[in-house]
Amino acid sequence: MPRPPNAVDFWRGFALATIFINHIPGIAFERFTYRSISISDSAELFVFLAGWALRHVVGKPEDPTPASRLLFQLSGRSLTLYAAHMLIVMIAIAMLAVSARVLDNPLLLEWHNAAAVFSDPADTHIGLVLLSHQLGYFDILPLYVVLLLIAPLIALVHRKAPNWLLPLSLSIYLASLVFKITIPTWPTEGQWFFNPLCWQLIFVLGFTLSRERGLGGWVRRNILWLRLMAWPVVIGGALVAWKAWWPDATRVPEPKLLFINGKTFLTPMRVLHFLALAAALSSAYALIIKVVPRLVNFLSLLGRNSLYVFCAGSLLSLSCQIIRFGLRGGIVVDTVLVAAGIILMGTVAWMAEWRQRDK
Amino acid sequence: MLAGLMASSVGGLAQDSTMTSVPNDCQAPGAAIVISAALPNVSNALRDRKKIRILAIGATSIARRDSARGGYHAIIEQFLERTFKGVDVEIFNRGVSGELARDAAERIKTEVGLTEADLILWQVGTPDALAQVPVDEFKAAVTDAVAWLKEHKTDVALIGMQYARRMADDPYYQSMRVAVQEVAKEQAVLRIGRYDAVETIQKIRLQRGEPATETELTEAGYVCMAEYLARAIAIGLFARMRTPGVGPSANPPAKTP
Repeated sequence: MPRPPNAVDFWRGFALATIFINHIPGIAFERFTYRSISISDSAELFVFLAGWALRHVVGKPEDPTPASRLLFQLSGRSLTLYAAHMLIVMIAIAMLAVSARVLDNPLLLEWHNAAAVFSDPADTHIGLVLLSHQLGYFDILPLYVVLLLIAPLIALVHRKAPNWLLPLSLSIYLASLVFKITIPTWPTEGQWFFNPLCWQLIFVLGFTLSRERGLGGWVRRNILWLRLMAWPVVIGGALVAWKAWWPDATRVPEPKLLFINGKTFLTPMRVLHFLALAAALSSAYALIIKVVPRLVNFLSLLGRNSLYVFCAGSLLSLSCQIIRFGLRGGIVVDTVLVAAGIILMGTVAWMAEWRQRDK
Repeated sequence: MLAGLMASSVGGLAQDSTMTSVPNDCQAPGAAIVISAALPNVSNALRDRKKIRILAIGATSIARRDSARGGYHAIIEQFLERTFKGVDVEIFNRGVSGELARDAAERIKTEVGLTEADLILWQVGTPDALAQVPVDEFKAAVTDAVAWLKEHKTDVALIGMQYARRMADDPYYQSMRVAVQEVAKEQAVLRIGRYDAVETIQKIRLQRGEPATETELTEAGYVCMAEYLARAIAIGLFARMRTPGVGPSANPPAKTP
């Protein structure tokens, strides 16, 4: 039996549905996702919840999972994610190729960083396998693969020296910001859209805050006043995003990445805003499930089957982009596409649970 | 005129007295490929620190696509370093393929702060056209970004939309092309008409009885864009707010061997 709806699955499902819409650039509904009034977006939420979920693998403090099993489980999960990523990337490339043929338009071969696959296939296929070449909007799973590869280390540091984990993570994060350290891409010149050296922080925060002891315990004990402090940050963030009151990167002092908004480097303003948002909405689930239980059930269904849904959602987003181009968009097309996409994501999740029940 | 300009000194640097013309495969007589504009901030950088920082941004990466030839950045970098002896050209590639102009516009502001670029090479329009962004919305986003860059003493080269035979009769795609042209004209910034170049090259190839495949045309689009761009930057360093227009500078005379 699948687990009953809960806050983590619900928010993960919410993030998946939001990512699906945000990954259809130009669609009418993207302006209604929360990133329009938020400094951070669903990517932070998704990675934070991935860190939160690590608690289940690590085990309780009084009954920790053995280190060898931890390593085996997380490495296996990382390999599963890698395989899933490779599968959807290959399907995405084929979708672009078929669309270019059917619509007789080579521009589609150039879309979302696919050009190198067709113009320089030898090097680019090596890059795809090494994750050094990533398609646009297919760049979160490589980050997730890396995070799960380092997850055993995170868990072991937390077990042996819990007070060291966050300072260590923060040090790597700050060093990346101060020295602008990035992970380069190859064969096309560039950098990873999600810099793992920075995004590991939100993953570690998710894991640390999920724990009953340490920082997680302190936050639980002080959540009331933390929530009070968080709301002004959330409201201020909404104003900044809505009015585009971003700091001028040419006028802030060095190290500039500490003061500006940048998704690649997950700059501090995004981390702080996300933490404020998480604190402010930490009690919202209880209210939401009372008001819209069916919505909670549906989003929890998505969240429980996040890998399947994420993969389906990525391919559906690309399909929607291609269909929008072919049909010239429009509000009717956009509405049908978003509705169909979310229903299909739900169907994929339902089928995944149906298969498990059938075993 | 160009030879005369080239014989002069810019920023105390010695230059080649003439520039090589664009390769034969990129010659597109009669096409409005380069709409030139002065590059005062690049000129200042050249004069003050003998170094030019160029930020390549926008939809499709113009990074290395052909290792044998050294790639598109290399074409620009090598051409400028060859033309202006002693100058150091640094190119930062921050292209995010598929990124809409409105998102790129925000990222440009960040990247300009981080790289302190003197010149932005912005490939713009094609992803917006693929995503069916309304023309007015697209034009407003590009105009705002270009105005911001000018205000922040950064020169811009708008690299126009990609060519595809299928889009030649598409009114929406053509209106997006016009939007890029209008922004460049209104803001008086350098523009490379990649679409025009490839369209003309295609016609020439057809006339010769050597029709090009779409892949060859796409590849030609990148190579020729880089060749024209490199020369347009060099010319822009000498120009001081000349009237924008299609000039012979787009196809400077070939260097005598």
